[in-house]
Amino acid sequence: MSAEKKMSRRDLLKLAGAGSAGLVMSGLPVKVIAQDSVTIKVQTAGLDDNTLQPVADIMVARHPNVNVEWVVLTGIDHEEVAAKILALVAAGESIDVGYAATEACQLFAGQGLAAPLDDRVTGDPDQDFWTDFFSDVHPSLVEAMMYEGSLYEPPRDFNAANMYFNTNVLAENGFDVPGSEWTKDDFVEIARGTTKKDANGNTEAFGYAWTNRLWGSWMPWIFVAGGNLYTEERAPGGDWVWDGYYEGDMAADGRGGGFRWREPIANSPEVVEALQLVVDLWQEGVTPDIEMGSGQTLTGFYSSGLLCMIPAGGFWAGRLANEGMEKGDFDVQYWPNWRNQKHQFGTGGHWLATVAEAPDEAWEFMKIEVSHDGFQSSEFFNPVIITTPARRSYSQANAFETTGPANSDVFYGTLDDHPSTSPIPAPPWSNPMTTIFTTGTSNAMSGAMSPKDALDQMQQELEDLTARQPQYYADN
Amino acid sequence: MTTAKGAEAGGGLWHWLTQDTMDGLRRRRAILGYLFLLPTLLGIFIFTAGPVFVSFGLSLFRWNIFKPPDFVELANYERLMGDVRIAISFGNTLKFTVLAVATQVSIGLLLAMGVHRITQTAMRYYFRTAFFLPLLMSGAAVAVVMGYIFHKEFGPLNYYLGLMGVQQIPWKTSADWVLITIVIMSAWRNLGFTFVLFLGGLSNISREVLDAADVDGAQGLRRLWSVTIPLLSPQILFAAVTGVIGAIQVFEEPFIMTRGGPGNASRTAVMVLYEAAFKNIEYGYGSAIAVVLFLVILAFTLVQMWMSRRWVFYQ
Repeated sequence: MSAEKKMSRRDLLKLAGAGSAGLVMSGLPVKVIAQDSVTIKVQTAGLDDNTLQPVADIMVARHPNVNVEWVVLTGIDHEEVAAKILALVAAGESIDVGYAATEACQLFAGQGLAAPLDDRVTGDPDQDFWTDFFSDVHPSLVEAMMYEGSLYEPPRDFNAANMYFNTNVLAENGFDVPGSEWTKDDFVEIARGTTKKDANGNTEAFGYAWTNRLWGSWMPWIFVAGGNLYTEERAPGGDWVWDGYYEGDMAADGRGGGFRWREPIANSPEVVEALQLVVDLWQEGVTPDIEMGSGQTLTGFYSSGLLCMIPAGGFWAGRLANEGMEKGDFDVQYWPNWRNQKHQFGTGGHWLATVAEAPDEAWEFMKIEVSHDGFQSSEFFNPVIITTPARRSYSQANAFETTGPANSDVFYGTLDDHPSTSPIPAPPWSNPMTTIFTTGTSNAMSGAMSPKDALDQMQQELEDLTARQPQYYADN
Repeated sequence: MTTAKGAEAGGGLWHWLTQDTMDGLRRRRAILGYLFLLPTLLGIFIFTAGPVFVSFGLSLFRWNIFKPPDFVELANYERLMGDVRIAISFGNTLKFTVLAVATQVSIGLLLAMGVHRITQTAMRYYFRTAFFLPLLMSGAAVAVVMGYIFHKEFGPLNYYLGLMGVQQIPWKTSADWVLITIVIMSAWRNLGFTFVLFLGGLSNISREVLDAADVDGAQGLRRLWSVTIPLLSPQILFAAVTGVIGAIQVFEEPFIMTRGGPGNASRTAVMVLYEAAFKNIEYGYGSAIAVVLFLVILAFTLVQMWMSRRWVFYQ
């Protein structure tokens, strides 16, 4: 795609009129935006302010009148960051662009904080950009960023829960990395076979570990057992995406306008069975006590050879590389087959605030972030991939060549090879839902309740919570 | 006409204020006093009393900030009464308060008496600094570090206990242990306050009184119980009142270390308040919890003050 082809008439006028040094340097098309000095406030999670600085640099080079100000919010998990965004907004602080993973996409959309992007996408004169973007992003990621027919975030990254192996621990115990068709029973055999105990019966090295959160944790077991926390259905709408940008793509067939999670089914036999599995492993000493959070503590144990298997996505490869693990010390495989091999994933991106003071500039930033320039410069993906790129062309095996696992093709392959794969349940009330989920999980995983009792209580709490919600879904 | 009346009224007020009599002087002094008080009163009204009244008002609404509030009368309080999570978290807070305040007061007193007996100045400085230092540390940082120390499988505490033959203790992951763990952490961090308070109190006890007790044959525990503790009772009351208020509001240690788990075993009253208001964006419900928490703290403080009349001795 040449720069000439992408140059619009407005860009030419702008270029001729202003002769902006930034534009000359970039030579790429931009929307004409206000020339007065403006500041866009971009909310980032944790260290993103440094990580995204190259994207801001591109923005400023192309639009010298724009300043990018970071609003950094940290938290041990997505729902905590979402809570801080809500508190920030409640305190009267405005942001133009916010970040949300699947956990909070419908939350912000449902509250009217995030603006639908349909008109901005379809009305963008640079349709080549969007044709290229959507052709590079799996439709399931786009669908996961939709709510009631509208798109709220262009996906930047995603992570499906795959299984990571410490290959050294596997080899010490006589195991190989299993094939893609491996089963739950294969998993249990490896987990038990790689667990080591001392003379007192205390476990010294664990076969498997996970942390208590919505994404990852034991949610993948719920999915492959054939269950879910809520019934999962598709909202109508979204034809503008599927017919306009994904026409002829088989993977887009049957997709709608985002997911609706209506009725809690947390104590279904499948979910009970899934929780029983992980509780049994904990009681056997195969799994350590679970803790809240994104697994930062477990990274050290994994890289030290005290842990063999853990659920994680592409982000874990970068984390392990940063911990000093060499290529070949770890590998990854699809989640094991139980009743099915349906994976769970979460995707993330930036949303445009409805109250943005500089919406056009904010939108321009969002576009740059998901452009080829953005992906090639963002430190999320360079020099080490620290989260799985939503664009397929940056998720291929060569992207993980120096640091990643040998089976890195499973990251995007999860979406391609397992079409039933869907996002974690995250309705607009996902924050209190997550608290109920993690509380019920630790009730069972601490031995305070049986899995069945813990899930019966979880079901009751979810039903009460759902009944208290206003009409977030159009045909409630 | 109006102008003339205004001038007359203004003149009257001016005259009333500047009257060269004792009454006029008293008025001027009173007004000056109120003017000096005004900034403080305004500060209290805007930043302390104001939010309390607003919270009470908010507790009668269902409000998520982003949409207009709905007046729901006492519905938030009715829900609160039937909310199991609230009952558990207030129960946890009560247990934590009793354990934490008892630990801080008793160990703080023992440490203060120990250090008070040290005659070497350098050693006294050393211990005073050592015991006070944790109080200056960030609660969040302490919770993170303690989280590693108390890790069941990989923490150094269980490692060393293991060398002594003790089985691994699930410090953070068992409902039976988690509150004790948070009390230990809280006591370690906050002991410095009661320690310094009691050390100051001990230094102020008159030597003559202690000598007189000696002459009367009161030594050891008898002197401690009948002389030292009564003379320290104002400090003990202060430590207990401030300790209870602080303990009822405990948040950062359990939030960072356990997020209220396992289950709801370490979920505290302020944690459910935070979750309701800022995580679940139910500001009305969060305010109702805040009002109840305020009333609980007020009740505890009043009971302590009332009881103090029986046992606090002011020299």
